[in-house]
Amino acid sequence: MHIPDGYLDWWICVAMYVISAIVIGYSIKKVRGSMDGQHIPLIGVVAAGIFAAQMLNWPIVGGTSAHFVGGALAAILLGPYAATLAMTSVLVVQCLVFGDGGITTLGANIFNMAIVDVFVGYAVYNALKKHGAIAPFLAGWLGIWLAAIACGVEIGISSTFAYKIGITVPTMAIWHGVLGVIEGLATMGVVSYIRVHHPEKMEVAA
Amino acid sequence: MKKAYVAIAVMLILAPLFAWAADLVNYSEPLENAAEEAGAEENQSYSGIFPDYTVPGLNPYISALITGFMGVAIILAVFYGVKMAKND
Repeated sequence: MHIPDGYLDWWICVAMYVISAIVIGYSIKKVRGSMDGQHIPLIGVVAAGIFAAQMLNWPIVGGTSAHFVGGALAAILLGPYAATLAMTSVLVVQCLVFGDGGITTLGANIFNMAIVDVFVGYAVYNALKKHGAIAPFLAGWLGIWLAAIACGVEIGISSTFAYKIGITVPTMAIWHGVLGVIEGLATMGVVSYIRVHHPEKMEVAA
Repeated sequence: MKKAYVAIAVMLILAPLFAWAADLVNYSEPLENAAEEAGAEENQSYSGIFPDYTVPGLNPYISALITGFMGVAIILAVFYGVKMAKND
């Protein structure tokens, strides 16, 4: 879902940078106020784990594939503000060091994967957490699905895609709607494991 | 924390295997499919220090292994750096 340079019109790139910068700034403020220094390495470990998980491209017969994104998982483990910072650090390293995702489109990639995925995943998890494992499953699934739809809208209103929003949104929504099941299962698996073995680590920032 | 580092190391060691398996099924992401359907072209102006997780001169699987550990090291260094700066 990492958008490369050239896919988005310049004004969308600028708008996405501005929105993402505001959310990141606010998140830094929130994390500073609510977490002490001891929690910073934990944010780093979650970010490092998500980076490592994103190295694994799950092959799916039929030619389409995807990797875990992890915004919802980060939000469940760290709370949404620290999760936004963790995901942003992953996306910045991927972009600057490995050329995964464009520089002009970094704001949009942060918006989709470090903000939409994180906050949707967190909201879904919070609404359903009394219902057990279904909460992290749907958080992972819906988080990635809405992130994909956001991505579909951004490319669909760009000239490179000939403004074919009627094609881009369904393509992203259908594919990631199906592949999102894997994201949901992975999110559920990790959250269930941590809840059983390390309950004290659940959402340190909340 | 220790278990988390082990889990990260295991994922990084498996990365070349996944890269190989993804090649077998002609890995392409939905975003690339959408681009193909709409006839969009990418126009990468900057391709990173290690473009697409490759190290010049090394085969893609060894590259995936090395760049994976590199990325994790950079991310951990940033957060531990912030922690140290905060403690001062």
